[in-house]
Amino acid sequence: MGSSNKKKKEKKKDFQKAKLKIGKAKAKAANFTDTSFKAKSIVVNQQTLVTDTSDTAEQFKQNLSLAVNAKADNQRRDALAYITNQLSANPRNNPLGTSGVLTKLLPLLSDGSASVRTQLLKLFRVLVPAEVGPHVEKVLMYIRGGMTHLSNDIRNDTLNVLEWLLEVAGDETASCPGGWLKTLNSFSSMLGWNPSVGSAMSNKGWTSAPRATLGTKKGPEAQARQIQVLAKFLQTGFRPEAPIQYSPMAYRDNIYRLPGMPNPFAYLNLFGTPRDEDSEMYPDRISRQRVFDAKWRAAISAGMEGARKEGGTVGRAAATLDRALSAGLG
Amino acid sequence: MVKRKVAALEKVEADLVNLQYKIRRDPRSYAQEFYDQWLAYDAQRQIFISSPSTVSSEDIKKFHDLVDLVAHVADLYPDLTAPYPDHLKELLNQHHATLDKELREKVVGSLVLVRRKDVIDSTSLLTTLFPILITTPSKSLRSLLYTKIISDLRESNSKSTNHRLNRTIQTVLHNLVTSDRTSTKGMWATRITRELWRRQIWTDAKPCDVMKEACLSDNEKVVVGGVRFFLGGDKEREDLDDESSDEDVNIKKVKHQGTINKKTKKRQKALDKAVDKIKRHDRKKHEPHPLNFSALHLIHDPQGFAEKLFQKHLQNTKNRFSLENKLLILQLVTRLVGLHKLTIISLYSWFVRYLTPKQLNVTSFLASLAQATHNLVPPDVLEPLVVKIANEFVSEASATEVCAAGINAIREVAIRQPLCMTETLLQDLVMYQKSKDKGVVMASKGLQSLYREVYPELLQRKYRGKQATMGLRSGETKQRKFGEEEVGGIEGIELLEQYKEEQKRRKREEEGLENGDGDKKEDDDEDDEGFHSDEWEVASTDSDSSGGWIDVPSDSESDEPAKKRQRKGEEDADKAPELVDTAAELNRISKLATTSILTPADLAKLEELLREAKIDKALGRTSKRKKELIDRHIEDGVTADDIELPAQLGKKTTKEERVALARDGKPGRDEHKSTQAIRKSKKEAEGKSTTNKEKARKKNFLMTIGKARAKNKRSLVETSKSMKMHIARSKSGGRRKNGT
Repeated sequence: MGSSNKKKKEKKKDFQKAKLKIGKAKAKAANFTDTSFKAKSIVVNQQTLVTDTSDTAEQFKQNLSLAVNAKADNQRRDALAYITNQLSANPRNNPLGTSGVLTKLLPLLSDGSASVRTQLLKLFRVLVPAEVGPHVEKVLMYIRGGMTHLSNDIRNDTLNVLEWLLEVAGDETASCPGGWLKTLNSFSSMLGWNPSVGSAMSNKGWTSAPRATLGTKKGPEAQARQIQVLAKFLQTGFRPEAPIQYSPMAYRDNIYRLPGMPNPFAYLNLFGTPRDEDSEMYPDRISRQRVFDAKWRAAISAGMEGARKEGGTVGRAAATLDRALSAGLG
Repeated sequence: MVKRKVAALEKVEADLVNLQYKIRRDPRSYAQEFYDQWLAYDAQRQIFISSPSTVSSEDIKKFHDLVDLVAHVADLYPDLTAPYPDHLKELLNQHHATLDKELREKVVGSLVLVRRKDVIDSTSLLTTLFPILITTPSKSLRSLLYTKIISDLRESNSKSTNHRLNRTIQTVLHNLVTSDRTSTKGMWATRITRELWRRQIWTDAKPCDVMKEACLSDNEKVVVGGVRFFLGGDKEREDLDDESSDEDVNIKKVKHQGTINKKTKKRQKALDKAVDKIKRHDRKKHEPHPLNFSALHLIHDPQGFAEKLFQKHLQNTKNRFSLENKLLILQLVTRLVGLHKLTIISLYSWFVRYLTPKQLNVTSFLASLAQATHNLVPPDVLEPLVVKIANEFVSEASATEVCAAGINAIREVAIRQPLCMTETLLQDLVMYQKSKDKGVVMASKGLQSLYREVYPELLQRKYRGKQATMGLRSGETKQRKFGEEEVGGIEGIELLEQYKEEQKRRKREEEGLENGDGDKKEDDDEDDEGFHSDEWEVASTDSDSSGGWIDVPSDSESDEPAKKRQRKGEEDADKAPELVDTAAELNRISKLATTSILTPADLAKLEELLREAKIDKALGRTSKRKKELIDRHIEDGVTADDIELPAQLGKKTTKEERVALARDGKPGRDEHKSTQAIRKSKKEAEGKSTTNKEKARKKNFLMTIGKARAKNKRSLVETSKSMKMHIARSKSGGRRKNGT
């Protein structure tokens, strides 16, 4: 019938050979796809292949950018390792200065790869401690971001960085704007010892919601570690200041000399936005004690009691915290 | 050791989307998690604020995600997120120029989202977005903000009109236009106002005031925006209204599809939606029609406005606007003059310069002149203009189109002010009906028929026609003097009275009273002429069919019936022909409205009667031109087309045009093919399926042959059984039981 005839013809068509003709281009295949394109500019999304070993400064910069931008984890880690080597060499090779390295690498604190984060901590440890001091505020911002990150691994690794920071520039950490209360906020939220959130939510019903569902999975070791670092942080904050040695020139220096540190009048907050209670700076031990007493003492001691009853590593860590507290406030 | 299974949120690429989902399902249990993220957001914000320009792309990405999360759950934790809207506002205000594009969009979107969740109010949102809209150099941001502002205003006015918000925004727009008259910033005020006017969200006088100020701006763009609003804004509004009412859903079809197709949730939802829409539509139909005044009517102090507009943009020789825009302004000014019957004497002398055939867009000028004419313009001001048009345009030597346009323009002016014409000029112009060109002849005849109605003395005796001559002789046609106004009444009131009388009579008949008692009712009437109601009827019908006269050609108007004339007088008072008012009729008009109070039912009936009368007219009992006049509303104004089109009347179309006209709307015919085949291929191309009949026809023969053979071999019992089944099936509506 008609339709089968048609089908026959169609079938025939499939196996017909195309005639080639001289002087004419070959016909395009049926499944030919045009892949040519037009673009105003072409972005080559690759690293340069040339490695010029002669210029160490250039190489340092290249590795620095690799450490931030490279897509592969290993490449980032290797670049960080290279920079660590350069910084720990004798004499140390750092063409950008500590501030340059820090501003570039701080976003890596919440990097997805664990190896990159450990390597980053190693790198931080070889930085010159005195040069980290002026950048504490910035480092703390990233640390706070990392401490409240969704991923537990990143939180824990960030604690290591905080520990390093406390070792390197403890006083600045506690006294910089936002350094005291905001960090305490992060700690409390990490541990789930949060009076404001807990009361706000649990008052509304007769059941109390179980503590932090995400936090329960992190295990006792992680919690113990968090308590330990908190204890260290509090110790640093409550450390009594060494009395300043009397020098007869101090008064005149204060009046006539240029101050030796960056931003000496930071506590006046002349040019920044007005600060609230959390982001205020608490420059001395007494003010820190006072604000801690008012805001966090009850919550932290309550949480600590709970932790002590758990026993084990957590209990031991809580005991350390207790000691730090009683020493600091007593 | 077995590898520990990692929960979704514990993965390093822990997704905030998942967390957001969980928080929204159970905000209390996830308060702690949210607090964490709030702190993270705060930290990221600090990082961002400390150096907005140098922050890394990763940080921006993180901040972007956190802003998104917080915006979506902000209404669940109001205490904690109280400062959030302020953060966003600050971010936008200070860094909108340097912000990353995606982050910027997210911030704007979050702010709007927070508004929709009623965390902040519209005023604070709009007062944040508006200054940025005006100042930002980024086009994409501007369009984003514009759409957001419009949609927010729409939304906050959707349930009931938010007067306070509207007033605030209108004041802001007004200040924007008036604060700096030279800048283009006023454009935004005009755009927003126009859009909201179009959507009938703003319908009061305040937006008109904003537009009025825009018209008086120094910036050309702003001025044109304002002028275009007044000239076209109401039309736009109507169009949108029609459009929205047009899209109707075929509920029957949707329901039918529901019985045939697979039952899915999606289909059910579609049906629900359609039903809902129909219901809403019905409800809307029964709602009283919103009384929307046109923008031109809402202008405060039109005289002052028109004068200022004219002096500032047209009379001022230093003005450097383009001709096109000047024409727009001229249109607005003349429209105002015509509509409100304003008096701007200097306007007419200004026209003189532009009334030459060489002037660009001269027909627009002519139309504007006609628009600017009304019955209160002194004739001696108009006369030189008419003479000038006649001299420049109308001569044997000039092109026929020019000539026709000139005569048409003169006619349009004369309709509005018949006194502007001198006898000699009119006689000269009327003589042009002997011309060879059809357009000119039509134009000239139009002028003649106009003057037959309004001022027959001016015509030569032989051109007056029978009606006018009769009217003159009997003294019915009287020339109205300058400034004389027609006696007004309620449109269609006599129709209502007639109807009421009929009703009364019918009632009386039913009660068994004699029909002849009609004069009893007449006794009540105050006019003591005291004739029969039957005579009344006869009299009015008499004028209706104009007695035993022979049929009258279309260009010499038949005398209008009294009832219709009254209505027309209301609509276009200055165009109306001289009334042939008898004292009796006058009394009759005033009677009903003054002696009784019209109830809403009366008014509704009146409207109905009017509609009927209009239909009668449309059915061809009156001349074409008169119908046109009835249809045309005084507010529509005169356009250049009105002047130009009549000249095209006599033109023959070329063959190409005719062919193109015939081809229009027919399927394309590239190859020789039957219409059926073309339709079929079109259907196929649209991806539509074939009918069952077609499918049966196409079915392979071999597939059907078995059944056919089996049918032949059936026994007699089997055949009769299947026949019975067939009949039963057809009765019950097929296999699907469609009938039941």
